[in-house]
Amino acid sequence: MAGLELLSDQGYRVDGRRAGELRKIQARMGVFAQADGSAYIEQGNTKALAVVYGPHEIRGSRARALPDRALVNCQYSSATFSTGERKRRPHGDRKSFEMGLQLRQTFEAAILTQLHPRSQIDIYVQVLQADGGTYAACVNAAMLAVLDAGIPMQDFVCACSAGFVDGTALADLSHVEEAAGGPQLALALLPASGQIALLEMDARLHEDHLEQVLEAAARAARDVHTLLDRVVRQHVREASILLED
Amino acid sequence: MAEAAAVAAESPAGGRARAARAVLDQVVLPGEELLLPEQEDADGPGSAGERPLRLNAGARARVRVVCGPGLRRCGDRLLVTKCGRLRHKEPGGGGGGGSGVYWVDSQQKRYVPVKGDHVIGIVTAKSGDIFKVDVGGSEPASLSYLAFEGATKRNRPNVQVGDLIYGQFVVANKDMEPEMVCIDSCGRANGMGVIGQDGLLFKVTLGLIRKLLAPDCEILQEVGKLYPLEIVFGMNGRIWVKAKTIQQTLILANILEACEHMTADQRKQIFSRLAES
Repeated sequence: MAGLELLSDQGYRVDGRRAGELRKIQARMGVFAQADGSAYIEQGNTKALAVVYGPHEIRGSRARALPDRALVNCQYSSATFSTGERKRRPHGDRKSFEMGLQLRQTFEAAILTQLHPRSQIDIYVQVLQADGGTYAACVNAAMLAVLDAGIPMQDFVCACSAGFVDGTALADLSHVEEAAGGPQLALALLPASGQIALLEMDARLHEDHLEQVLEAAARAARDVHTLLDRVVRQHVREASILLED
Repeated sequence: MAEAAAVAAESPAGGRARAARAVLDQVVLPGEELLLPEQEDADGPGSAGERPLRLNAGARARVRVVCGPGLRRCGDRLLVTKCGRLRHKEPGGGGGGGSGVYWVDSQQKRYVPVKGDHVIGIVTAKSGDIFKVDVGGSEPASLSYLAFEGATKRNRPNVQVGDLIYGQFVVANKDMEPEMVCIDSCGRANGMGVIGQDGLLFKVTLGLIRKLLAPDCEILQEVGKLYPLEIVFGMNGRIWVKAKTIQQTLILANILEACEHMTADQRKQIFSRLAES
C-alpha cells in the first residue's frame, strides 16, 4: 500500500510499538466449567479461546488408537465475525486444516503422550478476533488450556510471530503488517530447553536475514513465556487458596 | 520501562535447576527441574558418631526419594510435568527408608486410574463373566462377577447395567485396561459393592475430593450436623449422596459443589442459614 510506513525513521511501527515490542497480553485459565481445561487469551486485538478434553477414550474408529502414546487431535476454527469481512466457511477449509496440523505437531512435541497410550486428547481452538499472529495466539491459549486440564507436559510452549522490514526484524506482527506482504515467520519454542517445537514460514527471505528474524522471534517467545508464567502462577495461587482453607 | 524490569526480576528459573527443598509449597510449572536433596550420612538411633565404612570416601549417599504425581525422573533430577504447588511428606516409620515423597498438588477434573484408589463407577455393559464399568478414565474398567463378597459361580451378584459400584483398582497402569474389585484382600466387602437405590451422583474436581477426604475435614462435620445422610466419595471425582427427602439431597449436592469456590466464612454463613430454616 502506498504511503503506509511499517517502520518509521525513529523506529516506531504503525501502532506505535518498537521493533521488538510485544502487544499487550491478557490471559485467563479455567473459563469453562464443562471442559477439562480451557483458557482465553488476548494478544493486542487478537482473541483466541482454547478448550481441552482428555485423555479419554478414542472416539470414532478404534483402529486409530496408538499402542504406545496418546493421539492428539487439534481442531482450529475462526469465527465468521473474526476478520474484517465476514467469513463464509468457519471450519473445514484448507487454512483450518493446516492450522490444526501445525497445532498437533506443536503439542505432540510438548505433551508427554507416552503416559497415556491408547487414549485421545482433544484440543479445540477458536479465534474470535483475528488481528495477526493467530497461530501464536492459538498455541498460547492451547498451552494454558492443557495446563488447566492437568495433562502432563515436558515443557511450556510459547509462540510468537516475526517479520522483516527495512533490515529490521519485527516481533509480534499485527494484521496490517502481515497484509503488507513481507516475510513472516511463526515460531513455537520450548523455553527451558531452548528447543523449537515448530517453525513455519512461507514467504521469501534471504538466508542472511534468517538468523536475525529467528533471534527476534525467540526473544519475543521468551517474553511471552514470562507473561504466561505469571498468569499460571496467579491462577494456581488463587485456586489453591480456596482449597487449603 | 519499570514494568519490564520488574518482569525480568520475577522471571522463572528457565533452564536452571533449583533444589527441591527450596521450592516447597511454591508454584512450579512444567519445564522446571528440581535437584534431589543429598542425604547426610545417616546416624542410626543411638549410635553417636559412628559412621559406616565407605569404599569411596568422597561420594555421598543418594537418598531414595519417591516421585509422586506431577514429577518425573530425568537423570538425577526431577522434571515437573504439571502446574501446581510442590509438596513433600516425610516417611512415617523412621528415617531409614528414604527421604519421603515429593509430589505436585495440581487441580484436575479428568481422572487417571491409580492402583488402590476407591472409585465410584457406572456399569455400562455385561459381557460374559465381567462387567464393564465407566470410571471416568480413558478406558472402562473391568469388574469380574466373582469379585464381590460371597459371590460364587452359582451365586451371582445382582448387578444390572446402570448400577453404581463402589470398588477399588487392583490393576491400573498406562499399558493395561484397569481392573477393579469390590472386595478387599481378606475377601470382605468393607463398604464396597453396589450402591443402593435413590440418591444423587454428581461430579466435582479431584482436588475437592482430596480435601473432603482429608482427616478432620470441617466441611464434612458441618454437613453431618445438618441432615442425616449417606455419602460415598469416589477418588475419580464422583460423589453419591442420599438424604431423607429429595430436597435435602439437592441442597447437600449444591453445597458440596459450591464448597470449592467459597471461603470458610461464606461456608459458615450458608450452614448457619440452613440450620435455622
